[in-house]
Amino acid sequence: MKLLVCIKQVPDLESRFKPDSEGVWYSESDLAWRMNEYDEFAVEQAVQLREKLGETVELTVLSIGPDRVVEAIKKALAMGCDNAVHIQDPVAAAKDPWQIASVIAVYAKDKGYDLIFTGMQSQDRGSAQVGVMVAEQLGYSSCTTLVGFEYDSGVVTAKRELEGGIKGVVKMKTPALVTCQLGLNVPRYPTLPNIMKSKKKEIITLAVSDLLTAEPLAATISFYSPTKKGGGLVLEGEVASLVDQVIGILKEKTSVLR
Amino acid sequence: MEATREIYWNIGHGVVIPMYILAFAAFAVLAWGFWQRLPVWRQGKALDRFSSYDERVMRMTRDVFSQEKIFRVTAGGVFHSLFFWGFLILFVGTMLVMIQADLFTPLLHINLLSGEFYKGFSLVLDLAGLISLAMLTGLIIRRFVIRPKGLEIVRDDYIVLQLLFAILLTGFFLEGARMAATELRQNPGLAYFSPVGLLAAQVFDGMSQDVVLLSHKTLWWIHFGLVLGFFCAIPYTKLRHILTTSANAFLAPLEPKGTIATIDMEDERIEQFGVAAISDLTWKDIFDADACTSCKRCQDSCPAHVTDKPLSPMKVIKQIGELAEDNPSGNLIETVSQDAIWSCTTCRACQDICPANIEHVNKILEMRRNLTLMEGAFPGDEVRTAVSNIEVNGNPFGMAYAARSEWSEGLGATILESGEEVDILYFVGCYASFDKRNQQIAKSFLTICSSAGIKVGILGKEEKCCGEPVRKLGNEYLYQIVAQENIELIKAYNIKKIVTTCPHCFNTLARDYKDLGLEIPVEHYSTYVCSLIADERLKLEPEPFDFTYHDSCYLGRYMDIIEQPRSILKAAGGLITEMDKSRYDSFCCSAGGGRILAEEKVGSKISEARVKMATDTGAPLLISNCPFCLTMFEDGIKTGGAEGVLVVRDLAEIVAERIAVSADR
Repeated sequence: MKLLVCIKQVPDLESRFKPDSEGVWYSESDLAWRMNEYDEFAVEQAVQLREKLGETVELTVLSIGPDRVVEAIKKALAMGCDNAVHIQDPVAAAKDPWQIASVIAVYAKDKGYDLIFTGMQSQDRGSAQVGVMVAEQLGYSSCTTLVGFEYDSGVVTAKRELEGGIKGVVKMKTPALVTCQLGLNVPRYPTLPNIMKSKKKEIITLAVSDLLTAEPLAATISFYSPTKKGGGLVLEGEVASLVDQVIGILKEKTSVLR
Repeated sequence: MEATREIYWNIGHGVVIPMYILAFAAFAVLAWGFWQRLPVWRQGKALDRFSSYDERVMRMTRDVFSQEKIFRVTAGGVFHSLFFWGFLILFVGTMLVMIQADLFTPLLHINLLSGEFYKGFSLVLDLAGLISLAMLTGLIIRRFVIRPKGLEIVRDDYIVLQLLFAILLTGFFLEGARMAATELRQNPGLAYFSPVGLLAAQVFDGMSQDVVLLSHKTLWWIHFGLVLGFFCAIPYTKLRHILTTSANAFLAPLEPKGTIATIDMEDERIEQFGVAAISDLTWKDIFDADACTSCKRCQDSCPAHVTDKPLSPMKVIKQIGELAEDNPSGNLIETVSQDAIWSCTTCRACQDICPANIEHVNKILEMRRNLTLMEGAFPGDEVRTAVSNIEVNGNPFGMAYAARSEWSEGLGATILESGEEVDILYFVGCYASFDKRNQQIAKSFLTICSSAGIKVGILGKEEKCCGEPVRKLGNEYLYQIVAQENIELIKAYNIKKIVTTCPHCFNTLARDYKDLGLEIPVEHYSTYVCSLIADERLKLEPEPFDFTYHDSCYLGRYMDIIEQPRSILKAAGGLITEMDKSRYDSFCCSAGGGRILAEEKVGSKISEARVKMATDTGAPLLISNCPFCLTMFEDGIKTGGAEGVLVVRDLAEIVAERIAVSADR
């Protein structure tokens, strides 16, 4: 059985984002990088399945991006993936989700993966499209926003998060692709022996140019920070006068008291 | 008539050979008892605790004979120390009698035990016996009548206390019987040099000579038998501490306090990290269990224990001993429990107060290493998040690393990246960099330095967490990653001295980073400011204020910096009211051992307990000099209902507000 988990390295969301020189994406200076949180759930679920099914399973982790993404790949290997594919692309951020999905699909097409795991979406772009489009291009069944996962002899039982706190259960035959949501599991912290072992695991590097066949379907026009709206107002003083002030503000600036 | 006595009087010299045979037999039992312990100790890994022999012997001699560590705690300690010295004098006196009788008399034909010396000898021994008896009574009353909380009563206590009591009592009556039959008749003046014996002799007053002689002979054999019993009992009862606790004073580490073994991360042969079983411990860790006297001082001084958390340092040591003996292949971490292991604040109060030189903290740290490095475990999800924040952004808050030096904007600190030369590198640390309240410490420190004309450099966004909290949580791997990055960075600049405002950074940079190759001198700002004042580079304008002072664990107990902060505060015009638990007895704020990253979910809050101690002094101001302590006390004051009663401030803030505005600057 062959498993694939696709991960993305994203900037930490606490970082200070600034537009890049072309103004179509963020500048990479002063950013701290980490594995996309939803992809950590995907890796964890894939590793759990691999551990459950034993040695006959091969779990590959894949990531597209410049050299820095190897850090995220190493973490996935330390968490328990068997080997890795790094699709070298210094300008991955300039590609739209369709192109990224097609690169993965072209790579995965003849590899015979039974199950593909991805995060629900990336924390930076947040398009939530790559997973489903990979499934579409490969002709796999797919299911998004998983909060529960079970696998038994070729059938995936997935619990999905729906609107309004409702959950749905989906059964799919493999080959299939699932995208993982918060609540699915708690990603493990790699143990030191596994970190040591992961240093010896194979990372295959492929050039994106060999896999890229699709034209972009969407273009990023501009990247900018939202205009600053007025900050919060902190009132201080005696309660009685505070009440008057609040009523005054509500009358002046809102329509609630009219 | 000359003052002396006939040794073996009424017993006869025929006793000498059987007496020695029996004595050697008793020593053989003693030796056999310890010999049998060897395989238990040897289950542990090798560790050198025999090098620097002279220094170790000196320390053992001082520790054992001064009893310094024992009477540090008055309750029980004074009784024990006085008993020890009394019993020691009796032992030496008895040895002297033995040497006189079996060496000096037959071989040299001289009598040391005569004349004025004998009078003094008699009096000293009698008083020593009296003191021993009184102290033993005190110990018996304490254990069985007063019964302090946590002091267990076990089989050994009955055996040991009764045995010692009987030895002393039979000794006095034996003396009394001899005096009734001899001294009182022949040399009554001499009898006054044995006042207790004289009192015991009254019992035999009026008895026939035969009865007295028979009583004497019987008592002699009983006394002798009990003494042999004492030696035999040493390895099998708590009396073993006479040898094991003394040995521990020899075996205690010679490294600076707080030294933790730095794991060689390059060594690929290591497959097991930390301690999960008895065989992962060192032999000394197992030996420690035999050196424990169950005095429970560690437990009494443990902030986790007294706030109802499932940790007793004494219990941990005992559990190691029991597992090593009964079930060596058992799971040590399960036995001790994860909750107990994570509760430790590494405050070192247990180890500092332990009269037996037991090393509690590193055992707990080694178990944490196993949990963290082998299991990927955390004491809570909030800790998992904080640790991952350190990995990504180099600080536990998860704040953007690029924002690390924003606090310093416009305050005149040089960011070293600029290439400018500086007098000192101020290693700011995460709390003073990112936490609003603690930024006041950093700002105050810059104010102090600028008034003293010191040019301060900071690493800015290049600085990372020193790694202390994660190291104390057992994550040696992450610690070494951030430490190496900091070290390489610091080495790349021309730095002559590093100053920290955080005692945790200070301990880590000054001691732990040495193992990883940082050799630049590191100082905590409390000693640095102290020397600035002494050199008259910094002038303070004293202004009276009342305060109480909290010794942070990593400054006081770990680094012996106790007086300098107090002297600075005195120079600033402060009048101190000490808390009961101060200096080496200080009570942790709860944030050590990586607990700063964890929520305190079990028991009551340590910070509130400490805030209560501070308010009990009546002082309106609590001064600390550690960002962790400040954070915990700000919290403890709010949740413990001390708002309006107590304010907590850092030493740097106090100093910065009292800088003299001199004419020449």
